[in-house]
Amino acid sequence: MNAVEWIRLLVGSVFLVIGMVIFFTELFGVFHFKYVLNRMHAAAMGDTLGISSCLIGLMIFSGLNFTTLKMFLIIVFLWFASPVSSHVLSRLEAATNEHLSKHCEIYEDVEVLERELIERRNAESKEESAIAKEKEGSLS
Amino acid sequence: MEKEALYHPLFIALLILLSIMLLICLIRAVKGPRVADRLVAVNMMGTMVMVMISILASLLKEGYLVDICLIYAMISFLAVVVISKVYIGIYEEQHHSPENGEGGTTDERG
Repeated sequence: MNAVEWIRLLVGSVFLVIGMVIFFTELFGVFHFKYVLNRMHAAAMGDTLGISSCLIGLMIFSGLNFTTLKMFLIIVFLWFASPVSSHVLSRLEAATNEHLSKHCEIYEDVEVLERELIERRNAESKEESAIAKEKEGSLS
Repeated sequence: MEKEALYHPLFIALLILLSIMLLICLIRAVKGPRVADRLVAVNMMGTMVMVMISILASLLKEGYLVDICLIYAMISFLAVVVISKVYIGIYEEQHHSPENGEGGTTDERG
């Protein structure tokens, strides 16, 4: 075994261990959070980051051949599929839960949310301008 | 020859760790109070099984196992989407019948 193979083994196992750590974090998050929409956040991490670092480790092990290409294809597919499945799952939760307002804020209409955000931003900018004026006053 | 001796224990250890995590995921799928909980857990299990299949492909040096992994990814994605859509449809059918707003809308969890 020459130096290049040792380096390959080392880098590949580092990637695999990173993937395992991410999977463990995912499991911890799924058991730690109390509600589905929070749990989904932890679970979607392993779908993309965990599996991609594991497969990058295996790609480094296997070298440059068709297996590597297929593994890369799996990563690319999951990058597209995981957000879509998370979206569909959250729509399922929002459509079937009758007590959703216990867990999070609900806006019936998008326009209400937009208006509230604009009001909040205006209030913030007013505060900021007031603070800036005070600073100017203290400086001069 | 010595290369095999280094890779083999690493892969076996990773497979054991992954199978333990898979069992913990199964606990979440059984416990989860709502349907979405169970589906999230099943999605996670699918991801872990994909990693296990890829590790097996490297361990046995059988490249075609990665094809199976790719198909597994597609089918698990399809399963999550289809089950969610079907469940939404069933729920709306049960709760938004023509004479809605009556005692029929009970709090069904899971």
